[in-house]
Order: sequence, then structure tokens, then C-alpha cells
Amino acid sequence: MTPILTIEGLTKSFGSNRILRGVDFEVFPSDVVAIIGASGSGKTTLLRCIDLLEEFEAGEIRLDGEELGYRTAPGGRRVRLPGRQLARQRAKIAMVFQSYNLFPHLTALGNVMIGLTRVQHRPKAEARAIAETWLDRVGLAERRNHHPSALSGGQQQRVAIARALAMEPRLLLLDEVTSALDPELVQEVLLTIRRLAEAGTTMLIVTHEMRFARQVSTRTVFMDQGAIVEQGPPEAIFGAPKTRRLAEFLTNVSH
Amino acid sequence: MQSFLSVLELSWGLLLRGLGLTIAISAAAVLAGAAVGTLIGPVLTYGGRIASFPFRVFVDVVRGTPVLVLILASYYMPAGFGIGLGPIEAGVLALSVFCASHVGETLRGALIAIPPTQLDAGRSIGLTFPKMLFFVLLPQALRQIAPNFVNTAVEIVKASSLLSAIGVGELLLTTQEIVGRTFMTMEFYALAGALYLAVNLTIGAGGWWVERRFRAQ
Repeated sequence: MTPILTIEGLTKSFGSNRILRGVDFEVFPSDVVAIIGASGSGKTTLLRCIDLLEEFEAGEIRLDGEELGYRTAPGGRRVRLPGRQLARQRAKIAMVFQSYNLFPHLTALGNVMIGLTRVQHRPKAEARAIAETWLDRVGLAERRNHHPSALSGGQQQRVAIARALAMEPRLLLLDEVTSALDPELVQEVLLTIRRLAEAGTTMLIVTHEMRFARQVSTRTVFMDQGAIVEQGPPEAIFGAPKTRRLAEFLTNVSH
Repeated sequence: MQSFLSVLELSWGLLLRGLGLTIAISAAAVLAGAAVGTLIGPVLTYGGRIASFPFRVFVDVVRGTPVLVLILASYYMPAGFGIGLGPIEAGVLALSVFCASHVGETLRGALIAIPPTQLDAGRSIGLTFPKMLFFVLLPQALRQIAPNFVNTAVEIVKASSLLSAIGVGELLLTTQEIVGRTFMTMEFYALAGALYLAVNLTIGAGGWWVERRFRAQ
């Protein structure tokens, strides 16, 4: 099987602070990869680099074989791609954020449609039909004409998931999508993600919900200090950690 | 001795023309100023130091200059470069420039206030920057500055009375001419004041209606 996403030697710093130190990583079709680790371990930065929201100094990210974000100029110099190319590549990867980031001036339907009409240039009627289907799938068909301010956090996050998936991305990135939610709203979002996983959506999930990571992922990755320390099937990662750092982390989060 | 009403009967046509000119000049200046200001705001915000520099200078100079000085400059300075502007053209130019700098600056403030997470969301979907500006950033920022824009429009209407200084026959100059002939100072200045108030209350009501519609969303 050929991977959808390949990452090699990904290195990223903010100033003198090394956030990612040579991350190597592959994602195959229908993989549901849960990325766990302490705050500051580089999980979110990894997702942001993949979605080209951050620049990185070294390494390579490839989506279906195409290098993302950079090209190699004659002479071997690495050059960031121009805005239009970045936009074209970003459209193939979708991301859902911790704070939903819906567009407040658009309705739920408008939020899901904007990428379909403005990026994929679909006719309005077709875009509307697709958007309605996705809002229905996340259980928000009746709320389609509400603005984000009239929706609960959980509903907003489900709209954000619909907005991401309506674009039919090759890969869905979920960045701590339940962290900003009130506890009673977490389950509805997790249930939505679980259904997507069962439907074969390829996903990278950064999460602090360990139980959820264990149940939903086909592979769990443990990151610490900007590097992948251990990865494998969730039963192995959670049940039989091989490294001390992972064992300590799991002990800490279980309290 | 003439009565106020009999003078009004003879001069209401003149007054209406003056009022019409006030409204037309103000409307032209507000529209042109809003259009130019909507271009200036994004350049000030996202243009980087080099591209935004000339606009920064323009906005600061205009905002730091009394409107009357802008009007006199628009009327007398182009003649120095061999461009003849009539008083009405010069007046519209001065008020448009005034309006553009205000709209540009308040729009910059509103654009800066949009959380960067909105840019992340737009980028993530695959919007190019121009599309993001047009469909995500400007719609939010323009809603935000709507109340401020109503204020600017009211300021423009009031400032248009200064055009009497360069001989534009707008409401104030017309009133002054009628007062000059009839010496009914109180009556006609009060009437002019009432007319300005009526125009500005109408603008205010329009702004209130637009704002209420935004808030309903």
C-alpha cells in the first residue's frame, strides 16, 4: 500500500526554541492516527506544518507523492511556494481547530459552502446540496441557517467538521477538537469523529482524550520534546509502553 | 415689513436647491471616500512597511489637517499645477479625501482586531489571500465599522457647510444670501439648522436599521 502522507526529517523552530526535531512519519489510507503527548511536545505544530500554516526549516512533507510547501530551486536552495500554490495544496488537507474558527458572518450552511464555491468553484446549487448533506451527517440539518453565535460549542465544532469534510480532503487533521468544549458537549463531537473513522476517513487526531485515542485509533503515536518516541497499535502503546517516557506520561494523565 | 412665511414662500426653491446640493455633495464624498477607504484599509493592514508607507502618510496628513484647510487646498492648489477645479469639484475632492482617510484608518483597526485564527481557518480551506480578504476579512471588518461609518457620514454633511467658504451654493451659503437680503437672521439660520439636523437624523436612522439587521444575524 502506498502512503497518503510521508514526512521525513521535519524540523521546526520558533526562534531558538526547537519545536520539532526530525519527525519521520507515514499515514496510509483509512489510517486513524492518534497523536498523544504532553503540552509543548510539538503535536499541534506538527499538524500546522502539515496544513502549511507554519513554515519549517528542514525536512519534507509529501501528499500523494507531491512535496508540500516548498520546491527546490536550481542550486538546491529550498524555496517556499507562492500563495496560490500553497492554497491549492491546502485545499487537499482539511483541519479542524481547537477553537472551531467558524466564520462568524456566515450561517452554518455558508461556512460549509464557502470552500465549495470559492475554492472548488462549484455552482451554488450543487455546493448547497453538498453542504446540506454534510450538515445532516453531523446532525445539524435543522440548524443550517443559524450563525455560529447562535450555536453551542459542540454544534460549532460539528459545523467545523462538516466544513472540513465537504471539501473531500485526502486527509483530515483534528487539533484538540474537544479541548474547548464543556464536558457535556464532548461526547457528541467524539461520536461524530468515531463515525467518520468507521467510514474510512483518513485522520490525524491530536487529543488529550486518552480513552478516545485508545478506542478510535488504528495507530497511536507518542510525541515528546518534538520527536516521535514510540508508535504502534493502541493496545501496545497504552497497554505495554516500551519507553520510560511514555510510561511516565500515561501515569501522569491517568491521575 | 415682510413676514417670515411670505419670504419663505419666495425663497424655498433656493433653499431646496441648496439642500439638494448639500446632500448630493455629501453623498458623492461619502461614496467615493468609502470606496477609496476600503482600498486603503487593507493596504495599511497587510501591505507591509513599504507598500503601506505612502498610504500611512496620506492618512496621517489628512487626519491631522482641519477640514477647512483641506477644502481651501483642494480649491487653490490644483490651479498651481494647471488643473482647474470648480468649487463643487474641489469640495467633493476635499470631503472625499477626508472620508477616505477616516474609513481607511477605522477599517485598519477592525481588520487588525480579527483574530488570526480566522486566517488559519481561511487558509486551511484553501482560500488565496485576495479571496480571504474579500469573503472572510472585509465582510467582518465592514460590519464592525458600520456604526463608525454613520458617524463619518454625519461629519461629512456638517463639514460640507464649510464649502460656503469657496462659494459653493450649498445650504449654508444659500441661507446666508437670504439672510443678507431679508435680515431675518434667527429664522433662516434656525431653519438651516433644522434641515441639517433632519438630514443627519435620517442618516442615523438608516445606520440604526442596517446595524439592527447585522445584529439579527
